[in-house]
Amino acid sequence: MSSLTFTLKEVTRQRIDCSPLTPNKLADKSLADIAKIQLVTGNLSERADALFIITEGDSQSIKFKGSNSKLDFIGHNMTKGKISVDGDVGAYFGIFMEGGLLSVKGNSFIYTGCEMKGGQIKVNGDAGDFIGGARPGRRNGMTGGTVIVTGNAGARAGDHMRRGMILIEGNTGDYCGSRMISGTIAVQGDCGRHLGYAMKRGTILLNQMPTRGITANFNDCGTHTLGYLALLFTSFKKLDTTFSRVDNFSRVRRYAGDLAGIGMGEILVKI
Amino acid sequence: MIINGVTIDETFAEAFPMKATRLIITAHNAKWAMISAQAFTGFATSVIACGCEAGVERQLKGNETPDGRPGVSILIFAMGGKGLAKQVETRSGQCVLTSPTSALFSGLDSEKDIPLGQNLRYFGDGFQISKVIDGKRYWRIPVMDGEFLTQEKTGVTAAVGGGNFLVLAESQSQALAACEAAIEEMQKIPNVIMPFPGGVVRSGSKVGSKYKALNASTNDAFCPTLKGQTSNDLPAEVESIMEIVIDGLTKEDIDKAMKVGIEAVCKLGSKEGVRRISAGNYGGKLGPFHFHLQEIMS
Repeated sequence: MSSLTFTLKEVTRQRIDCSPLTPNKLADKSLADIAKIQLVTGNLSERADALFIITEGDSQSIKFKGSNSKLDFIGHNMTKGKISVDGDVGAYFGIFMEGGLLSVKGNSFIYTGCEMKGGQIKVNGDAGDFIGGARPGRRNGMTGGTVIVTGNAGARAGDHMRRGMILIEGNTGDYCGSRMISGTIAVQGDCGRHLGYAMKRGTILLNQMPTRGITANFNDCGTHTLGYLALLFTSFKKLDTTFSRVDNFSRVRRYAGDLAGIGMGEILVKI
Repeated sequence: MIINGVTIDETFAEAFPMKATRLIITAHNAKWAMISAQAFTGFATSVIACGCEAGVERQLKGNETPDGRPGVSILIFAMGGKGLAKQVETRSGQCVLTSPTSALFSGLDSEKDIPLGQNLRYFGDGFQISKVIDGKRYWRIPVMDGEFLTQEKTGVTAAVGGGNFLVLAESQSQALAACEAAIEEMQKIPNVIMPFPGGVVRSGSKVGSKYKALNASTNDAFCPTLKGQTSNDLPAEVESIMEIVIDGLTKEDIDKAMKVGIEAVCKLGSKEGVRRISAGNYGGKLGPFHFHLQEIMS
């Protein structure tokens, strides 16, 4: 059965809250029911079929076509199934997600994977600031699941992240891993300024030494062979990412920090 | 039933329910993985006094272990889940955590689990690091040779302990040779261990004792030196009897191990001094699992 498809009729002036359009929320709904769903756009509420051309299909496999960066909250609270998006997506892509597979062929805006608990998000492009982060004023970012970014990440990737994995195939912006509580961020490219700023625990795994170096708040713990990296790389093999093809390494230089705080985090740099 | 001159008694071995887990110990090389495994499974011959029964199941190549290093798979059996958890924790802490280059993983997934590294982590004195990989939590504990990596929990499954058979031979050396041949074949069967030294026990026991403090004592019915003193039907020419005890994850696993073991003994046959195969049968007092020798060999 083909996918249930939402094709954006026209580029709207206002942002659209797409949070009701997930496999778990649309399960067992008829096409007519889906068409009647009210979507918030700007300060108005519109029927789904007023904004999208809806093509009947499997509600457990949803497609968005003609998407742009004004479609917010796609994959909101998603627990199962699959959503794939052609085009860019807006903010809060996969917020509160608990399961399933979310992918975009384009760029995602801020707060991708915000406070997600499980499942997998793949951004086939660049992702904005605060990947896997916590909403303003909240203390816990993502607590599970995996975010893969094939391009570059914005600033503060993994801000307040508590568990889970963020894999960035390109470069990251400033403050990567800021206020990180735990979890793993792996970066194949370069990192911006203030890497691991106020990081409490967790791991930032780097394929190369950042061109800006490691900040003074991290102390060099020397070179080591860490056995757990073999398990981590084995887990990458199951994922659709270039990380699955990275040659396994277990030799790293370990930096502990942020020593301005409890200093239990670590930056591991391949040697 | 007679196979190659060896009489298979019309009797059965009695076994009892246990709880078991499998652990995988890896190390820098196979030698150190085995050293650690042997330390862990030391003093674990019988639940009568050891608290658990444990043994090496098999050696593992790098491509069979979670961290890609050579390893050893061990099975541990105890009378209950709590007892098993205690043994796993103390033995892991004293024998694997301490062993150079070692890492410790669960080798059994099940709905019920017991702590593995869950409490060992406190050895890290606050420097331990938790990592959740593929839904499983691991602990990285800093130690003097680097990091000790251990999985947080291991699965527990219902299992069977105390499968056995007795080899009655004309001499001690012939009984030993027959048992060695049996163990060599039985070690190829997965999901079983033979927990006694070298897999063989020369002091089989019966339930109870004339001494109130003891709940097990020598199996006098199978002590050749007591032929004239106690009621037994040992042939005059039998001078030595040895027992092989088998613990397995299922009754079928023990069936298979007993079959290949008895076959190996019978292959030596009466010309090598093996006269009879019997089994520890305690009249149903010991446990609900019965392994009928002739059925297994038919």
